[in-house]
Amino acid sequence: MNISLEWLNAHLAPGPDGALSPDQAEEALTHAGFPIEERLALPGGDVRMDVEITSNRGDCLSHIGLAREAAAATGRRLVMPGWSDPKAAGAIDDHLELVNETPELCPLFTARVIRNVKVGPSPDWLVRRLEAVGQRSINNVVDVTNFINFELGHPCHVFDLAKLAGRRLTIRCAEPGEKLTTLDGKARTLRGDELVVADDERATSLAGVIGGADSEVSQTTTDVVLEMATWDPVTVRTAARAHKVRTDASYRFERGVSPLEIDYAATRAAALICELTGGTLCQGALSEGAPDPEPIVVTMRPARCRQILGYDLPDAEMIALLRAIEVGVEHDDPSTLVCTIPAFRGDLTREIDLIEEICRLKGFSHIPTPEKFPLRVRAPQEEERAMRELARVLTGLGFSETVTFSFVSPKDAEAFVGEGLRVLGVDDERRGAEPTLRPSVLPSLLACRRKNQDAQAAAPGTVRLYETSAVFAETTDGRSAERPTLAMLLDTPGEGTKRTDDDLQAGVRLIRGTVEAIGRAMADVRGAADFEPCDPPTTAWRAGACARVRLVRAGDEPLHLGTIGLLSDKIQKAYDLEIPVVAAELDLAPLLAAFPPRSHVQPLPAFPPIERDLSLIVDEATRWGDVEALIAGAGLERLEAAAFVSVYRGKQLGEGKKSLSLRLRFRDPARTLRHEEVDPQVERAIDLAKTKLNATLRA
Amino acid sequence: MLDALHEIETTGLAELDAAEDAAAVEAWRVAYLGSKGRLKAAMGGMKDVPPADKPAVGQRANEVKQRLEAAFAEKQGALGASGGAGAKGGRAIDVTEPGLIASGEVGRRHIITRVRDELVEVCARLGFDVATGPELEDDEHNFVKLNIPPEHPARDPIDNFYVDDPAKVAIPRMLRSQTSTVQIRVMEDAVKRGWGPPIKVISPGRVYRPDTVDATHSFMFHQLEGLYIDRGVSMVDLRTTLLQFARAYFGADAEIRLRPSYFPFTEPSAELDMKIRLGGPDSEPGWVELGGCGMVDPAVLEACGIDPEEWTGFAWGFGIERLVMGKYGIPDIRMLFENDVRFLKQL
Repeated sequence: MNISLEWLNAHLAPGPDGALSPDQAEEALTHAGFPIEERLALPGGDVRMDVEITSNRGDCLSHIGLAREAAAATGRRLVMPGWSDPKAAGAIDDHLELVNETPELCPLFTARVIRNVKVGPSPDWLVRRLEAVGQRSINNVVDVTNFINFELGHPCHVFDLAKLAGRRLTIRCAEPGEKLTTLDGKARTLRGDELVVADDERATSLAGVIGGADSEVSQTTTDVVLEMATWDPVTVRTAARAHKVRTDASYRFERGVSPLEIDYAATRAAALICELTGGTLCQGALSEGAPDPEPIVVTMRPARCRQILGYDLPDAEMIALLRAIEVGVEHDDPSTLVCTIPAFRGDLTREIDLIEEICRLKGFSHIPTPEKFPLRVRAPQEEERAMRELARVLTGLGFSETVTFSFVSPKDAEAFVGEGLRVLGVDDERRGAEPTLRPSVLPSLLACRRKNQDAQAAAPGTVRLYETSAVFAETTDGRSAERPTLAMLLDTPGEGTKRTDDDLQAGVRLIRGTVEAIGRAMADVRGAADFEPCDPPTTAWRAGACARVRLVRAGDEPLHLGTIGLLSDKIQKAYDLEIPVVAAELDLAPLLAAFPPRSHVQPLPAFPPIERDLSLIVDEATRWGDVEALIAGAGLERLEAAAFVSVYRGKQLGEGKKSLSLRLRFRDPARTLRHEEVDPQVERAIDLAKTKLNATLRA
Repeated sequence: MLDALHEIETTGLAELDAAEDAAAVEAWRVAYLGSKGRLKAAMGGMKDVPPADKPAVGQRANEVKQRLEAAFAEKQGALGASGGAGAKGGRAIDVTEPGLIASGEVGRRHIITRVRDELVEVCARLGFDVATGPELEDDEHNFVKLNIPPEHPARDPIDNFYVDDPAKVAIPRMLRSQTSTVQIRVMEDAVKRGWGPPIKVISPGRVYRPDTVDATHSFMFHQLEGLYIDRGVSMVDLRTTLLQFARAYFGADAEIRLRPSYFPFTEPSAELDMKIRLGGPDSEPGWVELGGCGMVDPAVLEACGIDPEEWTGFAWGFGIERLVMGKYGIPDIRMLFENDVRFLKQL
């Protein structure tokens, strides 16, 4: 809110060093909780300050309100406006009737009638005040209403009495479809949940928000009705939002105005209109609403206050601080302060509210900060350690971490929705083309890969990305599922943008190697990731090129982890990627829960092994896994390991054939092995391969 | 000529439709779209077409070619997704071959998660455990229990990502707009399972607000929030903890300043400013508006089943991006979410 420093100072008795300087005012208000966002020096020496006011302090949307705070902060005295009451003539009842049909939503509506006003320009002092806060002067009647709002924080409204049909004002709910042209010139159709002030024929203002054009004060106006009222904050906010109009009045009423403040402000406004327009005030005021509320009384225990503050503050000082903001304090019982809250402080209703006021007025800088303080030492959290270990493994393998948005387009989400699930989304007015909560992080990584391709940020074949993030979906019966996942996207290796079958195979081996490394780092140093060829879980994965991943550890039930493999041509095309990409998507929770990895300490072997390489020519359809399983099940004596070496394909092997090379390692823990001991084992392996896998031995 | 093209189109599409595996699809491609395929052959007839008809026939030929190509691509995609062929109509991929470790270079973590870890580490030294909670929340945890009543302007659907329509669903789901939701979850859990209070946690994580995106605003960002509830926790504990945190993270000469403010879930509430060397150890210290803090409002404790007469607590929170941008001189928040690998490697 804009305030004028000169205007603020007009409500503060000068201190020993005179009026507040701009710096003093800024400091006082900032420390009281009203920071200055901008300062502007005005011609003539005044300074405009844009003050930030929190939503609980509607009372400070005025010069008096802020002057009260500045007074409390600087020890100055608050100076309230002074005026002399005009002489009243003629009874108001002869000119106006007032009906309030909704006292629950309009706790108080008051009307005063001023006759024989001369509408004209405002005096210089008033124009100067309004211009200092960025308002344009309109005429002496309208200017008074603006002035009062800036001075006291009470929006008011004037009607041209002659334009009110039936000389009667009724506060009522709007009729659905009712028309009202407001002061901003907009013809509005009312919904029915607004309040209006109406004459006998039509609505004449949108209550608490904006006046109607039909009853606007003009140069020919002679008699005016001054409205000063208070409205239900929610009703005002709903109406203002529904009609997309925010006025100083609605902003103020949304923050609550007490009926107890109305009379003072209305008297002040009426007197000023009479003074500036030469008008005559009719005797009395029409006033309709609910019974006046009782003043709020809140008790506060000084001991509780000290407990919250954490340092010693004498009762007397608490009392002085509260009285500085016009809270009435009685303390017959020393353990309890009985505090009467001034009407303008509707935000103070509980003990903690008063404790906050004491804390605020005393200043946060008074809170001591001891160098030593007690601490409970906590054990490090394994999950945090696990996340860091995961990051170490992945960055070590060349993956860069991304942070991408949790939203994708419905189309991009589609290929990644698992069976029996459906996506969730937000209102597309909020998120435009990407309102879907992603069911997988992969579409985001793919979009990211594509952006890097467009920017030529890295050579094809070199980009590796990962992200850990929640993904979202719901089951068809409406249960929503959010789970943390680890997603990885990896370029297939190769020259330029050409990819051979070998390159694709290498890509799959790379993502598998990554997941194996994760398994070792998170669950078991010997390896815990188990892969099984599977059908594509969604259309995003390429058939025949993906595997289901499980976490397998001795003695535990295998846990489902996710999927690795090549992404489908459809996906590569949808994201317009130059090269095929491989991916992995794993559930994070079981991985983190497995940490730290199991270790297995054994004496290192004391005797050398014997290694034998075999190359088996097999059908293309025979998998390495088949060979591995065969050897593992063959019961070969002293076999320590059977390791994959390479795959070879060539014309001389024949169509549909490949040569799988493996290395068998034999060792005896107690002595050095002799070749003759190993030979029969190798022969046995070859025989088995020949009979079970239809293999031939490559020379 | 036109008849021939029509014939190629109809039989071609029918035959493609009938193709059941990758080999058949590839054979079809050779037969129709290959360099010696039917379409190429038909195009040879162009030379016999009268010049006046050439544009129309050419256009038609093009149309048929495109239609066949599109159908072929679609068929390939469909086969890829539904089983059948392996890689590119070529060799099968053997997913049982062992993993391969090979990398030309090391990767880099994202700066947001790295700063998150740095902050977590300092807080851990101050005795805070990390607590996490769902990002897909409900308005009970995002608002109601945080003392933000139904009519509060913060709950306006315009300013939130609701998943369910708040006008139709009693407890609508929404993306959390603040990590304070985790405070509520932790307090509820502590009471339900009897492990606390005392409670001393931080909750870093993603939050969502439909702000208009510009250089300093994003509709998704990260917050870090702390909560400490114990017997006799006071403003002294709050200010001391924040000062110790500032010194530990930003350097021994860091200062803090609290300014009165208003949040529905804390009281007293304050803005948290820190005087820090944001641009590195050699930069000039300056005041930075970092976040908010305060004593947990008794209404929030009560909503979680904790007696505010017995237990008091404080909470604080701030945005991580703002800190990252200041500390690393990043001019635009959008750079953080673009994930250009060249940018990621600058940090």
